[in-house]
Amino acid sequence: MNAIQIAFLSGLLLVLGAVAVFSGTVLRSAARGGRGLTLGLAGRRPEHGELGRGAFLAHRLTGFAIFAFLCLHILDVALSSVSSRLYDDVQHVYGTAPLRLLECGLLFAILFHTGNGLRLLAVDGFRTSATRSRQLLRLVIVVVSVLGVAGSALILAPLV
Amino acid sequence: MSAPAAWELTPTAVVDQDLPSRAFAYVALRVTGLVLSVLVLGHFAVTHFVTDVARDNSAFVARRLSSTIWIVWDSTMLAAALAHGAFGIRLAIADYSTEARARRFWERVVMAVVVVLFVLGLIVIARAANA
Repeated sequence: MNAIQIAFLSGLLLVLGAVAVFSGTVLRSAARGGRGLTLGLAGRRPEHGELGRGAFLAHRLTGFAIFAFLCLHILDVALSSVSSRLYDDVQHVYGTAPLRLLECGLLFAILFHTGNGLRLLAVDGFRTSATRSRQLLRLVIVVVSVLGVAGSALILAPLV
Repeated sequence: MSAPAAWELTPTAVVDQDLPSRAFAYVALRVTGLVLSVLVLGHFAVTHFVTDVARDNSAFVARRLSSTIWIVWDSTMLAAALAHGAFGIRLAIADYSTEARARRFWERVVMAVVVVLFVLGLIVIARAANA
């Protein structure tokens, strides 16, 4: 492993650290708001509003994680402007197993943030009812799961 | 009177609460989000599904950025993603920074990061486009 790859991995650790700190802040604040932290996705039937609250938290956490990665990503693409060798060295790291797993996580984050964001647009734009909004959220969860698993299979395929 | 929890602040409530700048942020967040739903998913598909990530080398970047459509695609995506992130994180900062000083500090940090990355990104795209 060379210097630029170590620098990239350090940047990645910084990104993961920032995501951990931000997530801690968001979840602690949510916990203080009472009613615990069940996302309404597992166990008993979600109560009114619980699923939407989980979606709000997930939207905020995935949004920050994507933004944090974007910061690192713009920097690593900028390496291509300095030297193609530096860029290719970092790109080599993107092809390793641990990074491919993170890319699957990134894919799920982007898919959920997009799907839920489009749901919010629909709810705001068409004054959708609360019931329809919850139905849309369940649809988003199904679509995200299907596309996420299919995409992850493609990302991980070269490792097999 | 206790402030509503963050998750109770629907977008509409956020707008009603404050100034025209809030209304602008509300619209900008949604417009950039809609644009990004196409640009980011397309970008991810091209760099991970159409071409495997191990083959996204500098030649691949140079080839893509030699075509006008990808130059427009990447510049728009850069601007929209950074703006969307900045507006979104501002909402989060408003929710979690109770002190005005802390809020201003984090807003400036986000603004500085976004401006630096935007300029850097534009330089990289322009250099690759002129190569």
